[in-house]
Amino acid sequence: MLVFTRRRGETIMIGDGIEVRVLRSGRDGVRLGIVAPMHVPVHRQEVYEQIRQANRSAAEAPGALTTLAERLRGSTEVRVDAPKQTPRLHTATARKRS
Amino acid sequence: MSHAHGMSTDRLRISGAFGELDVDRRDIIRFPDGLPGFERSRAFVLLTSEANAPLQYLHAVEGPPASFLAIDPKLVLENYRCELSEADRQRLGAHGGDALLWLALVMVEADGAITVNLRAPLVINPQGMVGHQMMPHQCLYPLRHVLTPAP
Repeated sequence: MLVFTRRRGETIMIGDGIEVRVLRSGRDGVRLGIVAPMHVPVHRQEVYEQIRQANRSAAEAPGALTTLAERLRGSTEVRVDAPKQTPRLHTATARKRS
Repeated sequence: MSHAHGMSTDRLRISGAFGELDVDRRDIIRFPDGLPGFERSRAFVLLTSEANAPLQYLHAVEGPPASFLAIDPKLVLENYRCELSEADRQRLGAHGGDALLWLALVMVEADGAITVNLRAPLVINPQGMVGHQMMPHQCLYPLRHVLTPAP
């Protein structure tokens, strides 16, 4: 790991498009400003990690598809009568093999 | 490439929670960044059926096997709304007027409760068949919104 000492207002360059600037530092944290090209996502690591965990847990759900669909149709939290979302993509079950 | 093998150039046979199906390659949605935790899953098909409504099924056709259940977040919260950043629009190749498809991933918690990730929705631009999982910096919605409590 590269380690730098920076003072307030000083910047680190990563490649030629990413700047990390120390805006403020105090007892309970450092405030950073990031400039990055549009295609480079910038996230707090713990937020990314939470979403990764949620996705991993979401990948377990399809095994219980039928039961889940039934439970959701009985749930007051889901408006099953709501208008269909537009645009709709294709319905592949129409082509289900026998 | 074990879970999806070609039959002809324009059809693809897949096998998953919806059974065994042939899908049209034109129905493949590209996720250039994959999804967090599934970074190598960059191509999916989205399947819907009356029998499994309101759930939709997102099935990876590239990379390691991965599939998800998803729901239109507006079925959960009528006024659900997340702002797309300019970067998100660029990723999706979406311009102002394009109608986009929003999906929230469904989870089953350890206690059996069904929850839905309203914090980081998937957005798909049907024009270019490109999708992306949004990670908004400002988002009021929970990561695990309860749809049905533990049975």
